[in-house]
Amino acid sequence: MSLVSVLAASHAPNILLEPGREWEDFMRLHYTMAPQAGASKPALEQQQKLRRDAEKAFSALRADLEAAKPDVLIVVANDQFVNFFFNVIPTFFITLAEEVRGQFTRHAFHYKNHRELGRAILRAGLDRGIDFAFGEHVELQHTQTVPLYFLLPKPDIPILPIYVNTWVDPIPTPRRCYQVGELIRDVATSRPERVALLATGGLSHFPGSPRIGEIDTEFDHQLLETLRQGKSKTLADFSLEQLLQAGDSEFLNWMVALGTVGDAKASSTFYLPDLVATGWGFVSFKFDS
Amino acid sequence: MSSYHLNRLLFDLKMNDSVLKRATADLKSLMSDYDLTAEEKEALLSGDPRRLRPLGAHGMISLYILRLKPEFRDNIYWTQK
Repeated sequence: MSLVSVLAASHAPNILLEPGREWEDFMRLHYTMAPQAGASKPALEQQQKLRRDAEKAFSALRADLEAAKPDVLIVVANDQFVNFFFNVIPTFFITLAEEVRGQFTRHAFHYKNHRELGRAILRAGLDRGIDFAFGEHVELQHTQTVPLYFLLPKPDIPILPIYVNTWVDPIPTPRRCYQVGELIRDVATSRPERVALLATGGLSHFPGSPRIGEIDTEFDHQLLETLRQGKSKTLADFSLEQLLQAGDSEFLNWMVALGTVGDAKASSTFYLPDLVATGWGFVSFKFDS
Repeated sequence: MSSYHLNRLLFDLKMNDSVLKRATADLKSLMSDYDLTAEEKEALLSGDPRRLRPLGAHGMISLYILRLKPEFRDNIYWTQK
């Protein structure tokens, strides 16, 4: 079998917060880091429109995912100081738990974890010079739960969380992340399961930074255009400095997804700058299977 | 200068409810459990995340000092990770 669906989607918490009081709370906290960013604060109607548009984007991705009838969904995301801290920061980590859980506000998440697929990727990596860290317990966080809320609301299939260190210096190169994706694609091809993959994060944003509120929409549009043209591999040539300057370090998660798709063209893309912090991006790659 | 202990305290405010409870009651007392410089202690007591970053606090957890401020104590942000 091979990869049957590859998706990428932002995981910004405010995608899943309710417009109005929850959004206002969220923004009030963030603007303590950069009071100037409050100048572009979105009104309630704008918040509601963003939520509706995000739901439409997620609906399109979910339709592609469900049509592909996957047996497992690999979720490539970054940890934000939930499972890992400065005592140990893995560059790449594979979850070998039996099940995984998490909580986002009032929403609880509980999935089976596909440990066998995790072990197969881990073994293949060791054979090919990519030495993943691994562990038997993780707690899901917004980097996974926000897109999973929309894409896999019922735990009908197991997931497999894979982590990339996108925020704690030194972070891996785009090329290395792409190579991890190529490895995952090769393992998926040799497995009996129908494998889908979701990468999360981005696009441009500067959380916890004095630059919060800035969104490099030009850079993000360029990324998405490259994906539509089927030239994802060229993005492996980006330097880390280019990604960091644009606030796109979480695009490293996406680079893993791009390593799995080769020259395929994105079948649909959506881009929604949220006027608060983040350029929300959503992408689907469909495959004949 | 290592900022490990500064980040450790902020991480514990995020992940450890008993540390959060102790910090809310008496931050000075809690700080004595961590190997912090006088400058780091002063910045923590100010409650301003913008003062923590130049001392080596990671941006992803600097915000967690705001959990101790009464006006942010019930913020929706803390109900997700």
